[in-house]
Amino acid sequence: MPKLGFGADKTTYDNIDWDGFGVGSNVATVDVKDGKILRVRRFDYGETYDLEKDLNRYRLEKDGHVFVEPAKSPIPPFSFAYKRHAFSKNRIPYPLIRENFDPKGERHPELRGKDKYRRISWDKAAQIIAEEIHRQFEVYGPGSVLVQQDGHGETKIVHPCHGCMTGLMDELGGLVMQARQPDSWEGWYWGAKHVWGQEPLGQGRTQNLFYDLTMNCKMMLYWGCDNETTTWGWVGQIPSLLSYWFTDIGIESIAIAPDLNYSAAVHADKWIPVFPNTDLALQMAIAYVWITEDLYDKEYVESHVEGFDWLVYEVMGGDDGIPKTPKWAEERCGVPARQIKALARKWAKVPTSTGHCNGGSYIRSAYSHEPGRMEVCLLGMQGLGKPGRNYMKFIEWNIYECPDFNPMPRDKEWISGFAGYNASMLDSQKARFIPKTLIPEGILATVDDPVKWYGHVVCMEPADDQVLPFQFPYPGDPTLHMIWSDTPCWSTCWNCGNEYLKALTSPNLEFVLVQHPWFENDCKFADIVLPVSTRFEVEDIGYDSSSGMWNTMVHAEQCVEPFGESKSDWFCVQEVAKRLEELYGSEERYANIFERYTRGRDVAKSIEITYKGSKAEQFRSWEEFMEKGYISVPHAEDWQEDHAGLYDFYIDPEGHPLETPTGKLEFYSTRLGEHFPDDMERRPYPHYIADTERFHEYRESEKAKEFPFLLVSNHPRFRVHANFDDNDWFREIEPCKVKGPDGYAYETVWVNPKDAERLGLANGDVVRIYNDRGWVLGGVWVTERIMPEVISQDHGARIDTIVPGESDRAGANNLIAPKETTSANCAGEVTSGYLVNIEKVDVFELAKQYPEAFGRTFDPTQGPDITNWIIEE
Amino acid sequence: MGKVFIIDQARCNGCHGCQIACKDEHVGNEWLPYQLPQPDTGHFWMKVEQTTHGQVPKVNVEYKPIMCQQCDACPLVEAYPEVVAKRDDGLVCIDPVKAKGLKDLVDLCPFGTVYWNAELEVPQKCDGCAHLVDGGEIPHCVDMCVTEALKFGEEEEFTDLIAQATQLDGAAETGARVFYLNAPGLFIGGEIWDEEADEVLEGVKVTLAGDDGKQVETATNDWGDFWFRKLSPGRYTVTIDAPGYAATAPISVELDKSLNLGDFPLRKA
Repeated sequence: MPKLGFGADKTTYDNIDWDGFGVGSNVATVDVKDGKILRVRRFDYGETYDLEKDLNRYRLEKDGHVFVEPAKSPIPPFSFAYKRHAFSKNRIPYPLIRENFDPKGERHPELRGKDKYRRISWDKAAQIIAEEIHRQFEVYGPGSVLVQQDGHGETKIVHPCHGCMTGLMDELGGLVMQARQPDSWEGWYWGAKHVWGQEPLGQGRTQNLFYDLTMNCKMMLYWGCDNETTTWGWVGQIPSLLSYWFTDIGIESIAIAPDLNYSAAVHADKWIPVFPNTDLALQMAIAYVWITEDLYDKEYVESHVEGFDWLVYEVMGGDDGIPKTPKWAEERCGVPARQIKALARKWAKVPTSTGHCNGGSYIRSAYSHEPGRMEVCLLGMQGLGKPGRNYMKFIEWNIYECPDFNPMPRDKEWISGFAGYNASMLDSQKARFIPKTLIPEGILATVDDPVKWYGHVVCMEPADDQVLPFQFPYPGDPTLHMIWSDTPCWSTCWNCGNEYLKALTSPNLEFVLVQHPWFENDCKFADIVLPVSTRFEVEDIGYDSSSGMWNTMVHAEQCVEPFGESKSDWFCVQEVAKRLEELYGSEERYANIFERYTRGRDVAKSIEITYKGSKAEQFRSWEEFMEKGYISVPHAEDWQEDHAGLYDFYIDPEGHPLETPTGKLEFYSTRLGEHFPDDMERRPYPHYIADTERFHEYRESEKAKEFPFLLVSNHPRFRVHANFDDNDWFREIEPCKVKGPDGYAYETVWVNPKDAERLGLANGDVVRIYNDRGWVLGGVWVTERIMPEVISQDHGARIDTIVPGESDRAGANNLIAPKETTSANCAGEVTSGYLVNIEKVDVFELAKQYPEAFGRTFDPTQGPDITNWIIEE
Repeated sequence: MGKVFIIDQARCNGCHGCQIACKDEHVGNEWLPYQLPQPDTGHFWMKVEQTTHGQVPKVNVEYKPIMCQQCDACPLVEAYPEVVAKRDDGLVCIDPVKAKGLKDLVDLCPFGTVYWNAELEVPQKCDGCAHLVDGGEIPHCVDMCVTEALKFGEEEEFTDLIAQATQLDGAAETGARVFYLNAPGLFIGGEIWDEEADEVLEGVKVTLAGDDGKQVETATNDWGDFWFRKLSPGRYTVTIDAPGYAATAPISVELDKSLNLGDFPLRKA
């Protein structure tokens, strides 16, 4: 049993993180007293181990400096502030039904987003849901129900927050899966993958890079990288320690981004501001310097690269005959030509690696495949894989359980939690699906006018998959008529949420079901809402294999009683399964469906199956695990011997080929050349592209006269995407929110002092951020941390619509992101680095204009308030 | 001797974990006889202050955790010896029962670290998590600081660090037991380049002279940048000495915040 914390009457372990797909991190110790969470502490690995003798704790030395592996888990503030969110005022206390939704009569889809909700019993809710599922199969057959089952909710194994209903619908005979594209690393997936493979991510293999960088690197380019922010949800704070360490041992830290992000603020030796989504111009100019000054590794290029001439052709003029000189780039990206030359020469001179953390305008903007692939070309020109010359990624160190994407010391075994995982892992090759970026189009699609795209888009698929054509509805299939979501944040997390909100009111959709702990975002467009318990309210088993620390599995005991009538996601779906069997058990589709769904598992059985299938038993028996509450896996004795990053390819490109068709770095992609020869947006070779028919989202676009600012919309500092927006302990930290004159906490928008002066803006002003797709509000924070002509507002604020599908008070800027996907044949998202304008508004005038929206009560510390939406009876 | 806090600003990444940890430990939790619960929001017994230094593109952020300085000559103790205790281990504790209604304690602290709990009608502040310390633990904020920017322990353990440390203005006079390492101070920076060649200039000598007559010399790096760091407020003169180039007039500044002087395009003489 865990050692009892001070003042606690119960102490347990948990992994408090938001990967959401079963692969956990942020292992923590939770103290409980009198049925309440007392505190959360860092997990002490040494509670039952000698760290040196039992776990082979590592210790690195370089130039008199020493890095010793922490003895306690490096969890982020999110983990120990989680109780504020878990028990916020926005918890859904009981099942809800939309006031004008009558399943037996008029359903009024047009009132979604406007209607309020009434309390119903679990019995009644389960009845309506079961009857509707039955009706969907009866009327349409399989293929009319869209299941939205992915996101970054709590990571759990027994009670997963994403995908429990997927298994039920699959067992019943079919569903349409919302297929999530690699939303945070679009550019590398759609672009870089065709240069260097690196399946399945398209991001570079990072095995043992911590050691390699320590020993060999001299300059780290944190390119659009914030490893003080994006890491918190599913890694913790080891990346922060790494950056301090790199500085200690003399690695120069260069931050390249439009904003002085939270990493650059404390780690950068130099900040190079670059306009959003113009990194490609900067990269092209670097290549120009190397080519014209003979500063690239010719021998390496000769032996490791295919199609180098195409890159030279493009850089030195290309189709338009314009050489991509530093001066040419300066006009586009805002970086002075002299600084571009200095950067290029230094990169060529000293061992340099790029550092990434996903997200931001660099890699999730229009045509992000171009900067993604061009980066790999640059790395290739300087001998990618040589000691100190690699691609470092500071998060997702056990993504898809691929050990070679872990830069930290290897453990003796990679433990896995999926043996007892109770969410369905559908075979994406077999399931019906719609790319998540195309859900609004999918809802509105008809048999005669299907939506079309290429590839399964989910991030586990190889590059060859990107050439496969698909459409929805599938030939012979019905259109969509129902949605079941455990991920009700599409509107504030994906591309052009306004289009999504409009689609949700379509009469095509006869039923929208959401299950979630908090009443927020897409919940407001549901017909039935089921209340879900948080991790503190259930017993589970968790593990941490992503933080870079020792692989650890924990028995997470139930801390407190479930809130109100809430049930875990797994139990919610079980309620539906039970009712289906009761009502329709005589029909083959529903016969014995409860047993078929649960596979005979209960919580205890699921935990045991998980542990015994995790490979952890070789280090600690099941009995001892349950007694001590955790198991940690020692680092391998020989971890330092692992070849780092792409070292093997560097040493022997023939013996260790890449996963490209030629096995080499394909600056000219033979695959794209073969399958998409006419694609002028994603050509077979890197190509400078801006201001097209698809995207007039550039400073040189005509549209920029009306909308002159580029918007940076990063992964949020104070949230995990849409999680925590009601966490008052973060909302009171500057610059999380800006209190407007009406007392409402507006989502902060960063404005450079020069722009603020020109526009007459000051701290605390409320502005309208707008473009041709709608408008959202923001609270002004004047700061030198953003370059002029650019503004920044994090994504993921909970929507608080003014006019649904048009405007929003909370600053959920994804509502006005472009609807179009990455490029013609790439179904990625474009959610940062697009054009907007800002103007100061008088919130009291707006309140007169929109009395209903501005008349809703709000909690000054937690924001939009559930009580507005529930009819008390 | 007694307990001290050591705060290394060079290791503070601004995560606000200490501020959050304080709330985790105290909001909704009663630790009598030490503390009554902290209100849900609005109290910052541990508060991370932030200062953005400089102007684009020479900008960084300073984070500085501020809490009760656990002063040996605490004005609260002097004013209310029956209510506020200076413990043998150096921690300063307000008796939450005896302090009921004593709002003037809030204004007695010269560092603004005492907060008024309007609901419970008591003044409250950081007591170094005395309940945990007495239980053999360390303050929750220190325990949760991943970068180890916060340290807590016996004064004699940190003698070397204390010798290098600074304190809040006025804290030495009140015998504060909180010490800061690596306070960044202010900076002056700039960039020098050859306008005709459109190239940064490396190795250009730049001199900073203070009104006190002291001079510091540096040279531009391979980005053409020069930096003078850890400066105090005051009047300074910056002189650029680039042989072969037309002279640049010395720049005189009244420094009250960090300053990027901008870029200096030089022309050959």
